[in-house]
Amino acid sequence: MSGGFWSRTAARALRRFGPLLALALMCAALSLLSEHFFSLDNLLNVFRQSAVNALLALGQLVVIITAGIDLSVGSILGLCCVLAALALKAGAPSALGIALALGAGAGLGAVNGLLYTKLRLPHPFIPTLGMMNVARGLALVITGGFPISELPAGFRYWGAGALWGIPAPVAVVVGFCLIFHLLLTRTTPGRDLYAIGGNRQAALLCGVPVDGRLILAYTLSGLTAGAGAVVLAGRMNSGFPLAGAGAELDSIAAVIIGGASFFGGVGTVLGTLVGALIMGVLRNGLNLMNVSAYWQTVVIGAVIVAAVWVDVVRQRAAAGR
Amino acid sequence: MSVWVLAAAVLAGPGCGRSGPNKKLEIVLVTKALDSEFWQRLKAGAEQAARGDPQVRLAVLAPEREINIDQQVAILEDQVLKKVSALAVAPAGVAEVLPVLEKARAAGIPVLIVDTDLPWPHRVGFVGIDNRLGGRMAGEYVLQALGGRGKVAVIRGVLGVATQEDRLAGFQEVVSKAPGIQWVGAQPANSERALGMSVMENLLTRHPDLKAVFATNDQMALGAMEAIAARNLTGRIVLVGFDAGREAVRAVLAGRMNAVMAQYPERIGRRAIEEAIKAARGRPVERFVDVGTALVTRENAHEFLR
Repeated sequence: MSGGFWSRTAARALRRFGPLLALALMCAALSLLSEHFFSLDNLLNVFRQSAVNALLALGQLVVIITAGIDLSVGSILGLCCVLAALALKAGAPSALGIALALGAGAGLGAVNGLLYTKLRLPHPFIPTLGMMNVARGLALVITGGFPISELPAGFRYWGAGALWGIPAPVAVVVGFCLIFHLLLTRTTPGRDLYAIGGNRQAALLCGVPVDGRLILAYTLSGLTAGAGAVVLAGRMNSGFPLAGAGAELDSIAAVIIGGASFFGGVGTVLGTLVGALIMGVLRNGLNLMNVSAYWQTVVIGAVIVAAVWVDVVRQRAAAGR
Repeated sequence: MSVWVLAAAVLAGPGCGRSGPNKKLEIVLVTKALDSEFWQRLKAGAEQAARGDPQVRLAVLAPEREINIDQQVAILEDQVLKKVSALAVAPAGVAEVLPVLEKARAAGIPVLIVDTDLPWPHRVGFVGIDNRLGGRMAGEYVLQALGGRGKVAVIRGVLGVATQEDRLAGFQEVVSKAPGIQWVGAQPANSERALGMSVMENLLTRHPDLKAVFATNDQMALGAMEAIAARNLTGRIVLVGFDAGREAVRAVLAGRMNAVMAQYPERIGRRAIEEAIKAARGRPVERFVDVGTALVTRENAHEFLR
């Protein structure tokens, strides 16, 4: 009995801290491989470069916990970038530009959730795939394909600024992480999301308002895409319509590397943050070693498969009791 | 612990000779992508220039695709952090890359702009071609080939980027003066072959009487060429590309493409690194190195296959 307890504890610890351990090992290895890696400047650099993916991954996590998927986050980010940039160019104050990006993101996310639940589309893949194309198309239509550059300093602060040496995007990510962590672990709607992902029928029978919670999940995913848009447009000093192309896959990768299960019901904010950092650290470290972007893609692909494989091994070990 | 220290010492070994009188120069060339012959040849030219100087260590890096501007910015940030001796950059965007170029300047790294110029007064120089002139030459060829009459369209790369804007502007400047030319418009295809093909298919559907197309790079021209061939219109639509990679030149020889504007990517890469080395050593750099452009047609195409 005590053996079962210990192996269960070990399995739980591996799930919780496995990604963190992997990140630590990776940092140690890269410190040895590149003299430039382990410096405060570079670590801040990694955080800055990972911020957008981390934000998208937070929303993606909420959706994946419900056993769903959101393919539209990259395109929603692109459209929000463009909308905010256009508003700012038209003379809107920075706060309004930010509110517009967040609002549009949440709104488009809510549309995803409504399409999925109210139209009874067979899988979230469908509405979010549709939204992925619609949002990207609209971003291109609105701008005619041109980037909208030179944004006001107040808006750029959230992507390019810093407070007491801490980059503003890092503060945004930490803030969102705290809110999402509390929401998922300390509130009824948050715990309902895990219940839906674990067993939707059971959740429904227990009186969980499944449709409402799912709409909430996709709205939150859209919201983080809007926040990602504020950070990215600020960082790049531009709202460009192709922003975030392919970002949905990076966000899914971060969530999966971070230990969440594609079958729903499992996943933590800390794990997802670590997943995004693992990807950021990998890309940064490989950049510092002058490894081509093509090889970086190969490495990240291998890491995704390895991360899930570790999870499969762990589950099999746990089920073997 | 001691194992780690040993490992660190071994790994740090090759980099240790960097201080002292025989200081290694670390030059980094960051292009928009490496997914076409143009960038590969530019890279080859750069490497050739670096081989001539034993003190120079060159790295050529690029994002996966030309549209991944944020990836290029991340690559540049990481190089700035390493405090490399000089950067040569073919910027994938304009306003998007300016912040990181400013960071390079703040870190005391000289930045040379390659291929695509951008309005940044602090660049130490620009190496490339006069793209507007190239666009004008393409326009004059099309006017002549059409006898000054017919519907004309352009397939262009990413919007807002100087090379693309200049080629288009030069082309338009010429064809807009001819009263018999009917301007259909310029459609973006992100400098990618597959997009070039589908944009051309759409153009042919909407304008069955289209007479000429200028694609502002080879990849899009080759895509457009396949779309034209699929409708058995080869030879009946004047098609002009830009870059003159081997595949495009062969297509010109085979009569599948009418003409292509030549760039000399090896020369651009070589001159860029020569100038970047000068900049890294604190020597004066030429403000604008124009490596020249030429019109390639069936008559002179064989010269460009050597």
